[in-house]
Amino acid sequence: MALISSQAKPTLQPCLPGFEHVRRSWNAQFESYAARILPGEFYVTKNKEGVATTLGSCISACIRDKVFGIGGMNHFMLPTTEVSDLASLKASNLSEATRYGNYAMEHLINEIMRNGGRRQNLEVKLFGGGRIMSNMTDVGLANITFVRDYLAMENLSVVAEDVGDIFPRMIMYFPATGMTKVKRLRSLHNNTIVDEERRYVDSIKKQPVSGDIELF
Amino acid sequence: MSLQNTTTPDDLIRDISGLVTLPDVYLRINRLIDDPKSTRADIARAINQDASFTVKLLKLANSAVYNFPSTVDSVTKAVTIIGTAQVRNLALSLSVANSFAGLPNDLVSMRNFWKHSLLCALCARRLCKVARRCDADALFTAGLLHDIGELIIFNRLPEEARAALMLVLVSQEEITVSDAEMETMGFDHSVVGGTLAQKWNLPPMLQECIAHHHHPSQAEKFPREVAIIHIANTLAQLAEVDSLELDDAPAIDPLAWEVTGLDSEVIEETVKSTQTEFDEIEQLFLGQ
Repeated sequence: MALISSQAKPTLQPCLPGFEHVRRSWNAQFESYAARILPGEFYVTKNKEGVATTLGSCISACIRDKVFGIGGMNHFMLPTTEVSDLASLKASNLSEATRYGNYAMEHLINEIMRNGGRRQNLEVKLFGGGRIMSNMTDVGLANITFVRDYLAMENLSVVAEDVGDIFPRMIMYFPATGMTKVKRLRSLHNNTIVDEERRYVDSIKKQPVSGDIELF
Repeated sequence: MSLQNTTTPDDLIRDISGLVTLPDVYLRINRLIDDPKSTRADIARAINQDASFTVKLLKLANSAVYNFPSTVDSVTKAVTIIGTAQVRNLALSLSVANSFAGLPNDLVSMRNFWKHSLLCALCARRLCKVARRCDADALFTAGLLHDIGELIIFNRLPEEARAALMLVLVSQEEITVSDAEMETMGFDHSVVGGTLAQKWNLPPMLQECIAHHHHPSQAEKFPREVAIIHIANTLAQLAEVDSLELDDAPAIDPLAWEVTGLDSEVIEETVKSTQTEFDEIEQLFLGQ
């Protein structure tokens, strides 16, 4: 579908070091390049480009420095399927389950700061955590609970969110402006999304849990 | 994508012929209705032989969908009130879901599949009443069966079907499931469904609605009906994701508005009342 435009497509700006593996391509709808991240990945940019992902019960935090326009998105879930309330989550396996969530959040925030972002300028949006399989434990809720608790502890407030409910979501986020487009997806896509998220959870369960290893 | 797939829609229909058959109750009722010598009592007797259909027919006749002032407590009464043509539609609608239980797949749960179909059926019925000059009950059946080809593709070509669904999720361009299927298989679910409808000798209007619901301009003898199913398909997706923004579902071909004389004013009312109706009759179709 080649859109004939009087303006030539701008050239793709180099990404920040460490994000070379993330696939970026032109999006005609938004007339912008966009990086697409998979479960477990994150992406930070200083460019005027989008970051996109598809979420089932996983969570994406979209965080940016609203003054300097540096920001990005992560995509993660806690590798637990047993508990959905924070109290039992903490009691049972704080060190195990929430460790992956902490990594995902810390890496995103640290990478933004490392590239010139300032903590007091951070603006947070949250998406995902859908209950897309009605017969399963509400993994989505556990993820939402975790991330809210994490942000509260870090003293970061959420300016916008679309979380929970029964839908998978497609997210497009522009860190330069903070603009976000959320599209709810029909249930026809549920199983495909769940399969991909399950593959990701299985992969992190196999990783040794250690403070120094980069898991994402 | 180099899936050296040489399977044709005809092959798929041949493959499933032993697994999915048109239910007896529909064939019997169909024959009796076409027979000028048969009476309503004959038709009622044929229905009564199928206990589960009888129960569903009475429940449906008493639901808000029909909104009859008095209780419909016998099949004969149901046939008299609803009319034989509608009973034929209902027999087809209610029993076809059961017949497809023999065609399982890993890509979509039967519940989620039929949810979209039922939402489409309810939207189509409602649009018909606004558009007038069309058979709301026949359109209900068309809505219920419009995606039937999907179940055949999901069962027979699971890898290609999964690739098509992935393509929709990862593509930068907004592409429809139908477009993605064309790209991975060379045909889409509407062609497969249309082929089956033809093979089963379903009413010609149904055949066209199933075969052309993504491309209303290809309709031949039933452009209005096809256009209504085309619009209903999009509105059913809005009802499912609880949105009133057309951006959230596949685009509606402007031709469909033109042919039906409908306009975007119908969207909000259709989506909202369909959501309410769905909650009420979901059990009837999706229960068990």
